[in-house]
Amino acid sequence: MRILGTAALALNRIWATKIRSLLTMLGVVIGVAAIVALTSIVDGASQGINKSLATLGTNQLNITAMAADSLTEQDANALADLDNVSVMFVQAQNQGTIATRESRVNARLVGVSSQYFEAVKPEIALGSYLSSSSFAATSKDVVFGADAANDLGITKEMLGTSVKLNGQDFRLVGVLDDQAGFGTSGRVYVTIDSARKLFSQYPYVSSIVIQANTPEQVDTLQIQADVLLRERYGLGSETTARYTITNQASLIAAVGTITATLGLLLTGIAAISLLVGGIGIMNIMLVSVRERTREIGVRRAIGAKQSNILTQFLIEAIVLSLAGGVVGLILGEIAAFFLAVLGDWVFSIRLDTVLLVLGFSLLVGVVFGVWPARQAAKLEPIDALRFE
Amino acid sequence: MADEVVRLDKVRRDYLVGDQITTALGGVDLVIERGEFVAIVGPSGSGKSTMMNLIGCLDRPSSGSVLIAGDSTNDLSDNKLTELRSRAIGFVFQQFQLLPNTTAIENVMAPLLYQGIGTKAAKKSATQMLTQLGLGDRLNFDRNRLSGGQQQRVAIARALVTSPDIVLADEPTGALDSKTGAAVIELLKELHREGRTIVLITHDLEIAASAPRRVFLRDGLVERDERGVS
Ligand SMILES: Nc1ncnc2c1ncn2[C@@H]1O[C@H](COP(=O)(O)OP(=O)(O)OP(=O)(O)O)[C@@H](O)[C@H]1O
Ligand SMILES: [Mg+2]
Repeated sequence: MRILGTAALALNRIWATKIRSLLTMLGVVIGVAAIVALTSIVDGASQGINKSLATLGTNQLNITAMAADSLTEQDANALADLDNVSVMFVQAQNQGTIATRESRVNARLVGVSSQYFEAVKPEIALGSYLSSSSFAATSKDVVFGADAANDLGITKEMLGTSVKLNGQDFRLVGVLDDQAGFGTSGRVYVTIDSARKLFSQYPYVSSIVIQANTPEQVDTLQIQADVLLRERYGLGSETTARYTITNQASLIAAVGTITATLGLLLTGIAAISLLVGGIGIMNIMLVSVRERTREIGVRRAIGAKQSNILTQFLIEAIVLSLAGGVVGLILGEIAAFFLAVLGDWVFSIRLDTVLLVLGFSLLVGVVFGVWPARQAAKLEPIDALRFE
Repeated sequence: MADEVVRLDKVRRDYLVGDQITTALGGVDLVIERGEFVAIVGPSGSGKSTMMNLIGCLDRPSSGSVLIAGDSTNDLSDNKLTELRSRAIGFVFQQFQLLPNTTAIENVMAPLLYQGIGTKAAKKSATQMLTQLGLGDRLNFDRNRLSGGQQQRVAIARALVTSPDIVLADEPTGALDSKTGAAVIELLKELHREGRTIVLITHDLEIAASAPRRVFLRDGLVERDERGVS
């Protein structure tokens, strides 16, 4: 019999026992849908993390104070004088409240020095960055991050009007399109001088960021910065809790490693769930071979070869598994789409996921279909015909 | 020279169940020539079905040899044996054994498709065969919608459609009422008149008596081999 004829027999059987076929597929459907949805979550999450890390630039070093009085503006100036430093800025941050006439929410108040915007280059949604005039000692200007603007319902018309930070009047000059938020409250940016008036004690800073001229210089700069700070505070070479230096490039690499590990983990879970799905198919196929022993006997008697029987049952298992894969893929992509909408990341159907998932389903069908199919093919015609 | 379709030479078939050996056939010699109508008769357990399985290339003898249309089945691989069966034998079973979820015409097409014949040609032959057996209006009925007699006629059509050298019918009337059974026997006799070789297994002595040749089996041996009207 030609292969198409055999395939028709397999499809005919699957169709004749629809409910059972659907239930048989279910394991693979769920496995595949889970893989697709989980992969898209990992993808989306790392997309978000990488985006917010990338906005900070890869040749930057972040020196974070471990206590409120750990680092000062003088430290920052000393660091700025190191070789190969192109940009330096400081940040002082604290929790506080922001309010319009209508509403009031918690926010993270961030005081930044003048080079902040030039170094970070956040995207601007409305208005402008803090300008050089904002940095004049008496000015009280504020730029909102996207989340803070959302929280307060800031509109274009409100630019230039007054908002309250910890009860003090500030003039809203811009809104960023930074989307950095991962459960943190919104951030608003003021000059470091304003921060001193709001919450921060001179000369202390929360963090110092220095940027090397080129990415290759970052590692050396990190060592130099560490040596410098140890000297200034007379610290030994053992680790201290005064500050930590993080390197954006290594952070991105670390995130990459975490994502890869997560991906591997998911592949493992996927493999297990597909395995379970495959065993389900094998189980039903074995039952099916038993139930259809007589049919197999009759087919052998009217001229079916062992290979015909083998192919018929194998195709049946493969079709069940592959159909399960396709259904799972569709359900998984639908789930991924809604997750993307909820998590606010870009939804995309990845060709490699599609191929991988379909390839796996095919493989599962072959691997778990072969044994039942061989059992069917190996039946002796006379025994099969006598079978009750 | 007579045209031998079946030759059994000292055919033995022993079954091993546990450590118990049952001899189903204990050395049988039998020759069936083309165009014969042979009834094989005997009490239950006498070896009739075993003999049919051997003639039908579903089974191989423990010793001795089975020749079908001149070919020995002894040394054939499973594949070759299947090819020989597909070409030379048509089966009719007591329980009809139509395929499940399959229409009458699909049942009759199946042996042709297994021979590698294309769907279109198979459909044409199957339609012809079924029409010839009076089932032209039942082509797309599956077995649940056919009476026992109709099912057995579909089975006969399925056995005939490949134009086999021999049609083997094992108790073809066993599951039918006497009237329908008689019609099936009449059909087989008509096929015999058209020149087909028919081997009919039965324990109905009346049916057997109407056959031109009767082979009586007892305890796995040929007890009598009669020809002519009894
Ligand atoms: N597959 C088998 N395994 C073991 N013993 C078998 C097998 N097939 C047949 N036998 C034995 O061989 C003997 C002959 O069996 P067979 O089926 O040929 O009888 P039969 O003449 O067709 O009987 P019936 O009229 O009841 O169909 C019996 O004793 C039976 O028990
Ligand atoms: Mg029998």
